[in-house]
Amino acid sequence: MKKWISRSLVWIVVAAVCLAAAVLGFLYDDFISERIYEDSTRHLSEIYSQVNRAFGSFVERNWGMLRSWGESLPQSADPEKFLKDEQEYWDFSGFYFLSFSGQSMTPDGQMGAFDPGSDWEPLQRGEPIMVGEKLASGEDVTVFVAPVPAGEYEGFSYDAIAVSYNNADLAASLNVDAFAGDARCFVIHSDGRVLLSTQTGGSVFADYLLYLKAASDLSQTELAELQAGWQAGKTDIVRCRIGNVDHCLLYQPVGFQDLVLLSVVPQSAVSAGFLSVQKITVGVFLAIFLMLGLTAAALLVQSSRRQLRKNRRELHYRDLMFNALSSSVDDIFLMLDIDAPRMDYISDNVERLLGIPAQAVREDVRVMEKCAINGDVFIPKEELQSIPMNGSIYRVCEYRHQTTGERRWYRMTVYHVGVGEENKYVVVMSDRTQERQMTQNLQEALDAARSANEAKSNFLSNMSHDIRTPMNAIVGFSTLLEKDADEPDKVREYTRKITASSQHLLSLINDVLDMSKIESGKTSLNVERFSLPELLEGLNIIIAPQARAKGQIFTMHVQGAPPEGILGDRLRLNQILINLLSNAVKYTPACGRIEFTVSQLPQPAPQYAKLRFEVRDNGIGMSEEFQQKVFAPFSREINSVTNKIQGTGLGMAITKNLVDLMGGIISVESEPGKGSVFTVELSFALPEEETADAWFRQKVNRILVADDEEDICLGIQEMMRGTGVEVAFATSGEEAVEKAVAAHRADEEFDVILLDWKMPGVDGVEAARRIRARVGGHVPILVLTSYDWTEIEKQAREAGIDAFMPKPFFTSTFWQAIRPLFADAPSQEKQTPAPEESPLKGRLFLVAEDNELNAEILTEMMDIEGAHCELAVNGRQAVDMFLEAEPDRYDMILMDVQMPIMNGYEATRAIRASSHPRAATIPIVAMTANTFAEDVRVSMDSGMNGHLAKPIDMDAVRKTLARLLKESEAEQG
Amino acid sequence: MRVRSRWALILCAVFLVLSLTSCAAPSARTSGVTLTIMGKKSDMEKSYMRCVFDRYREKTGNELKLVEFEDAEFEEKASRAFSEGSAPDILMHFHNADLNRFDVSANFLPLNDQPWMEDLTDSALAYCLSADGDLLGLPFWESSVSGCYYNKTLLDGLGLKPAATQAEFDMLCQALMSIGMTPICWPQNGCTWMYQFPLDPLFADDPERLEQLNGGQISYADIPEVVDMARWIQSAAKNGWFGEDYMNTGWSDIGEKLGSGEAVMTFIWDTWFYTDFEGGKYTKEDFALMPVFLNTVDGGTYEGGNLNMMLVNRNGEQVDKALEFLSFCAEPENYNAAFDGISTVSCFRGQTTNIQSQMVQDAAASIAEKERVSTAASRIVGYSADDVAAAFDSLLRGEIDAEGCVARMDEYRELDAHKQGT
Repeated sequence: MKKWISRSLVWIVVAAVCLAAAVLGFLYDDFISERIYEDSTRHLSEIYSQVNRAFGSFVERNWGMLRSWGESLPQSADPEKFLKDEQEYWDFSGFYFLSFSGQSMTPDGQMGAFDPGSDWEPLQRGEPIMVGEKLASGEDVTVFVAPVPAGEYEGFSYDAIAVSYNNADLAASLNVDAFAGDARCFVIHSDGRVLLSTQTGGSVFADYLLYLKAASDLSQTELAELQAGWQAGKTDIVRCRIGNVDHCLLYQPVGFQDLVLLSVVPQSAVSAGFLSVQKITVGVFLAIFLMLGLTAAALLVQSSRRQLRKNRRELHYRDLMFNALSSSVDDIFLMLDIDAPRMDYISDNVERLLGIPAQAVREDVRVMEKCAINGDVFIPKEELQSIPMNGSIYRVCEYRHQTTGERRWYRMTVYHVGVGEENKYVVVMSDRTQERQMTQNLQEALDAARSANEAKSNFLSNMSHDIRTPMNAIVGFSTLLEKDADEPDKVREYTRKITASSQHLLSLINDVLDMSKIESGKTSLNVERFSLPELLEGLNIIIAPQARAKGQIFTMHVQGAPPEGILGDRLRLNQILINLLSNAVKYTPACGRIEFTVSQLPQPAPQYAKLRFEVRDNGIGMSEEFQQKVFAPFSREINSVTNKIQGTGLGMAITKNLVDLMGGIISVESEPGKGSVFTVELSFALPEEETADAWFRQKVNRILVADDEEDICLGIQEMMRGTGVEVAFATSGEEAVEKAVAAHRADEEFDVILLDWKMPGVDGVEAARRIRARVGGHVPILVLTSYDWTEIEKQAREAGIDAFMPKPFFTSTFWQAIRPLFADAPSQEKQTPAPEESPLKGRLFLVAEDNELNAEILTEMMDIEGAHCELAVNGRQAVDMFLEAEPDRYDMILMDVQMPIMNGYEATRAIRASSHPRAATIPIVAMTANTFAEDVRVSMDSGMNGHLAKPIDMDAVRKTLARLLKESEAEQG
Repeated sequence: MRVRSRWALILCAVFLVLSLTSCAAPSARTSGVTLTIMGKKSDMEKSYMRCVFDRYREKTGNELKLVEFEDAEFEEKASRAFSEGSAPDILMHFHNADLNRFDVSANFLPLNDQPWMEDLTDSALAYCLSADGDLLGLPFWESSVSGCYYNKTLLDGLGLKPAATQAEFDMLCQALMSIGMTPICWPQNGCTWMYQFPLDPLFADDPERLEQLNGGQISYADIPEVVDMARWIQSAAKNGWFGEDYMNTGWSDIGEKLGSGEAVMTFIWDTWFYTDFEGGKYTKEDFALMPVFLNTVDGGTYEGGNLNMMLVNRNGEQVDKALEFLSFCAEPENYNAAFDGISTVSCFRGQTTNIQSQMVQDAAASIAEKERVSTAASRIVGYSADDVAAAFDSLLRGEIDAEGCVARMDEYRELDAHKQGT
């Protein structure tokens, strides 16, 4: 409003200035025009006064000349020559002798008539006259007549003489060059009759008064006044309009007869000179005014342009900014006009965000519907119309990028705004994909956290139960032990149960720590060469008794020809498989079946072997739901069966993590009530291949294998292929006997006969007996079994069986089994080892232990070994004791790590840095509950030589300390 | 209007009676000679021609065989008659470009030695002379004076006089314009004669120029006066001197414009006032004659009449008898009898019974000084009044300028000359 008022005020001021200028200009022009007219008419009067005077002189001269000739002619001897000379001199066109009787005669004698009309009277009175005549040729002449003394010429009596001038010649002498040649000048009689005209062609005017009457705007009265003025001999100027042109009529008496000099000049010509001054003046003023106006306008325009440029720059800058903004952000902006209807604006980033060109949206906004996941109308018109002015709505829509197919979520907000008088709808499509995904992730994380929290709660609950149970047994049996200390049987029973509960408790703690370590990423693999058959044998040793104890059938199979020596972390692989097998035993009811199968998968590369370990049971199985989280930590399926089974819920999680760590995969298939199948696939690097020459050197070239399962026979055949040993097989005991006998008879004796124990019909033992009976005792016979052969060992040896070897068959175990049979000397295995003296006996250990109980246990155990200990309660004291001791006093230092004042690492570093003669050589062994590999590494880095885990395992202590003592003594020389 | 028409009828009847009476022959003689006269039917039927034919028959007893053709086919049939050997003894023909269809020198007898030649008026003689100065035939025809006829009454009332020079004429037009009157009635629509008047003096006064033009040595464009004329007509039209609707003004409008006083002047001939002008506020008595001023000659010009001549077939079998017939016609008794009461300019000096208009009589001195034989239309090879009018039509419509107009006149003329075989 203010702006409008301001603009209006400016226009009003401008209009007022213009109006004032116009009024002033008009007044000035009027004033100047009047002045100019006065000056012009004065100028006109002066000019024609001069003309009049010139004409008067001309007339006077002619009349004077005629009077003079009137006197001289009669005396002239040759009047004709006289007149001819005069004509040449004065340039008149004709000379006439006139008589008052109305006759005329030229000097050459031509007669004519002469009738001056009304001028007769003055002529006869003796006054000279001037008349106009038209010759027969049509030529107009003016005749000057002067009465002279009567005379006679060539017989003609004359009373007057006259000269005539051609009007055209006269006009030339009277013509005025002024006024741009537009002026007419007439010599007229006072009644209006034209005597002569000064203008070429002006002879057509006969009576100027009549002409004015017809051609001018003068009224009858004005004309009468004009004629009266002529008759009165006045001088005046009359303004009138002739045709369409304003004229000035200037009249003044000639001074002869009633003649009047009439000048007719266009008013524009009269004032032309002055008007030019006026025009120049006005022009200058106008020019100044115009220049001022133009300057003001130019300044205004410049200012406007500057402002416009500034506005444009700003607009352009804003456009750029907005485009940059809209292109950079993940929000799409649209402006709709549903009245038009048209798309007023669409940000260019629509192509980036939705894969639709902006132009396509401009042409038809409905293309947006192609992107909608649910194919909804972009924004229904009715919905738009329902939005109140300055109101808004929003909704969340899911769109698919037309090029990439990516799904994106947008919060679409529609604002109803007014632009001028037009209704517009601004649509802002704000990309919320990231937020949505974040929300989803958060939700998933929250769910996971809740689940984990729930699992941990369950774990804590379980742990509380699981820890309290053995602890309860330990505490309870310890109480009973004190009470029944005098009863050795009970003491042994209580001690066994306390030991079992302690072992269980320790396993719980180990699992928890193991899981913690794995989760913290501190677990590393200890890759070394190990024997797969030995691993499997060890598993069999552990699991088979457990299964047997539960009345379960445990079988182990090897399919294909897996390598025997592989590079890997034996302990971790063992842990994985024990976990799986233990679980199978644990969750398979009595009389259930557990199958463990090792098979070789196609080798990914020559130097690698890929093995599959499959544990199949027909136990309780798992629900589909639990299968999804069976590998999650602290997860145990809750049901009536599992609730009765002890467990931390960490076993499978540890297993899964270890498999992952080894770059393998683990999977499970299960069905509740039908059992489970756990499959682990792992790749192992292979050590350099061992030569097969050993078999040849041992003279094992041909063997016979007997097993009721042909697959096993074929497997053994396959595995022995690389050794160069020929393998024949029989699928029954009888057949084995027949083949052995046949070979013997053909003198193609088998070098070794391998018999399965449990074969239908003739079993392995019976078959061996028959072979011995028919062939003799020189062929080594081995029994292959997955059972504990101790119960039949006596019977088997009596039957002639030389050795037993466990299933599954491996060339390595087979080799180990037959080597003693081919040795010259009796096998060490067959010798009963003599009781060995402890390597610790007589040794003195400096023990740094802040825990009195642990220190006491260690001291007692070392006493049993025949060794002695001196105790330090912290690292500082240990250092001091070592530094104060003689060089050969202590054989070794056993150092706890976590101690007050100075921990074990610091104490070790202090000892190593000391000047004690044995500072660098005395063995220092860490004895700590920090059992991780990293802990071992830190111990070694601090200067220790070994690492023993708590609780103390005396076998491990014995082996480690013996090795270190031996090394130390070797160093000392 | 009815009274005027009735008087006109009465006058015509009186003229007819007088003519018939004067043509009555005292006696009749038959000599057995039959002369053949060939001409347009409309020409032959003129009263003065019938009169002289009858007188001849009656006075000589000879017979006249009139071979008459319709106007449209006359030129074709007459020229064919000469080429096919059926030529008449006497041919009636105007001295115009069409005469070139006939081999004049081969077919017609020069009449320079005929005794009646002296009796011919100057203008009539000039009209009948060939380029070589031979008298081609006996002029026996009615004619009028073409000039600028002006309303004298009106001019007198306005205090104005007729012009004697081109400058005065221009001034007159200017003065009339100032008064608000249309100075000149210019019938551009279908009328063509105005353009030949100003051209006459250019060639009549300078026969050599005419010869050069017809010989192709020069063209109109080489004649400055022709260009001046075109410029003046264009300028006059622009100045409003022709009025506003001159492009639509035709033959039938001239009388009304002059009679009402709307226009003051027009370029026409005196007999028009007696044959076509019905008058109005002003009658023929109000009009007077001054020369035509169209900027070719300063003093203006009048055009003499176009005369029908009687040419003698020099190859005919009755040449003498034909010459006798011409002499018969040239006898004052006979031509005065024939033209008794006919309004025409005299062909013969002894012609006394014809009627001359007051306008012509009043301007007699001026006419005697400024009259030219109708030369342009009759002597310029290829001249066509329609073509010239067409060229000016384009000029006045603003389609071409003055030079373009003159160029077009040349172009048309050359085309027509080519058609005529010259």
